[in-house]
Amino acid sequence: MKFLTILKQSVKAIMSNKVRSFLTVLGIIIGIGSVIGLMSLGAGVKASISEQINSLGSTNLTITSGVTAYSKGSYMSSDDASKAQQNSSAMLGSVETLTQNDLTELTKISKDLVENVAGYVSSPVIFKVNDEEQRQTLIGVSSQYFALYDLKLASGNGLDASDSKNIVLGSQLATDTFGNTSAIGQKISIMETEFTVVGVLEAQEESNFSNPNLQAYISDADAFKIFDSKNYNGIVAKATSEKTVDSAKAELETVLLRSHKIDDKDLADFTVTSSKDLLSTIDTVMSMLTSFLAGIAAISLLVGGIGIMNIMLVSVTERTREIGLRKALGAKTSDILIQFMTEAVVLTIIGGVLGMTFGYTIGIVAGKFLDFSAVITLDSVLLAVGISSFIGIVFGIYPAARAARLNPIDALRYE
Amino acid sequence: MSKNIIELKNIGKIYKSEGGDTQALRSIDLNIKEGEFLAIMGPSGSGKSTLMNILGLLDTPTSGTYILNDQKVSQLKEKQLAKIRNKEIGFVFQQFNLLARTTILDNVMMPTIYGNIPNPKQKAEELIEMVGLTKWISHKSNQLSGGQIQRVAIARALMMDPSIILADEPTGNLDTKRSEEIMALFKEINKKGSTIILITHEEYLAQHASRIIHIQDGNIVREERAK
Repeated sequence: MKFLTILKQSVKAIMSNKVRSFLTVLGIIIGIGSVIGLMSLGAGVKASISEQINSLGSTNLTITSGVTAYSKGSYMSSDDASKAQQNSSAMLGSVETLTQNDLTELTKISKDLVENVAGYVSSPVIFKVNDEEQRQTLIGVSSQYFALYDLKLASGNGLDASDSKNIVLGSQLATDTFGNTSAIGQKISIMETEFTVVGVLEAQEESNFSNPNLQAYISDADAFKIFDSKNYNGIVAKATSEKTVDSAKAELETVLLRSHKIDDKDLADFTVTSSKDLLSTIDTVMSMLTSFLAGIAAISLLVGGIGIMNIMLVSVTERTREIGLRKALGAKTSDILIQFMTEAVVLTIIGGVLGMTFGYTIGIVAGKFLDFSAVITLDSVLLAVGISSFIGIVFGIYPAARAARLNPIDALRYE
Repeated sequence: MSKNIIELKNIGKIYKSEGGDTQALRSIDLNIKEGEFLAIMGPSGSGKSTLMNILGLLDTPTSGTYILNDQKVSQLKEKQLAKIRNKEIGFVFQQFNLLARTTILDNVMMPTIYGNIPNPKQKAEELIEMVGLTKWISHKSNQLSGGQIQRVAIARALMMDPSIILADEPTGNLDTKRSEEIMALFKEINKKGSTIILITHEEYLAQHASRIIHIQDGNIVREERAK
């Protein structure tokens, strides 16, 4: 039997009942559409997060205090974990263990490996400007912080290392607070301490993780005083190049372990994270989330498949005489089987293609609203066509087998 | 004289159903020669349609032997049966079994989906011309009259050049004039060498055949030669 002829027949049979065919494939359209939509949204979110992380600097290594379980190769046994806790810190960074001495030690690392090191301590605080109060994020930074993040001053001066009560504002924060008047020289009262604005930063590109334009910076010496703390929340080190990131990471760990007098690396009370680590973590989480959602959407594919089976059974019954006639004219059992299977598969592939279009439309529209671009991958196209033909085969085989098994004379006599 | 294309020996057919078994055919012995024009007559319920379905390999006998072209039909597999139905037998049914919403040309070409012949389209066009429907070739089957539909069915039956044409009351729904036209067509086909088996209950149609057998209650009761 000629494939093209069968295909033509199938399309004709489907088109002769347009409304019914459309309603039948609607389940497939919705199913494939939501799977593809969610997948392209997931891929889009992943791409935009990766981009933002890379914009933070792919050579930056972040040291945070405490232990984060995911960054270890494996989860610690409870024994190890309690030892780590006794060792001085609680889990998950609830206590800051990164001292000013640590920063000094880290600064001594060879400039061939680590270009720059800076510590920061941050906290949300209440700003008081001319009796108006507002909540802002205040970051106490060590002297190299601006250089490390490439933050440039638009006007005024930077911070010095002393507790001189100076403050530098992000560009947007400055205009939000002082409007058109120059911020330089203005006074801001934070936790009963009066700071003088000495500089305003140039506008920076913002990311989902932080917006430097809305932040205020003071020297770490001032910050330790007003926060009543002695330690940094985190230390950022910039490796000389992407190639040295891994060895820089190892060196940072060695220096800190020595400084903290810890012999066993598994018991470290700090975590060094590179952008790469962060990326792979987010990648894992996003993939899990995407497949979970796509899995839920796939349930509607099952429902759609049952709809296909139902309509194919109706179609076989309606066309019993046609089947009888075809058998009388020489159609083999396999010819009838192939004919009805093709019809089911063509139906589901049409659903798959429409669903794909629908899914991408969802992805693109949702992406517009959520401000990132949906990513259309070849994988998902193949997946859509693959899944829909698979559904056609699975749910088409029973009705087709029923058609093929019909005895020619019973089929011809069928009223 | 030419050889037997069909040999039936002691053919019986019982239909089983909940209301009890029905003996449609009791014991049929019948030989049909190549190129013969045979008419089978009998009242309704006599078993003539059952006989035709068995002859056309659409149904299987409960007992007896059917030899078609020197082959025992009971020994053939489903695939071989389908091939014989496609190549060797042309059916013209009592009811007009055309595909609805399908053109005349596609209807006539239907057997070529399941078997190959050279230049199927040209052949179909020739046959449509022979049955006088060239003007209607791209019309859909549901736009035709009963007589026209039956002529399409005849063209379709001839498509694969079968050695046997089986026609079950092909003129049952037609008036006398149309019926005569169809019979003339069969005679013409028969002259070209095809074996024709015609089932009818109209005496004047049976007279076109070279031999007539009469069936009653599942038995052949009488046989007559054409004058």
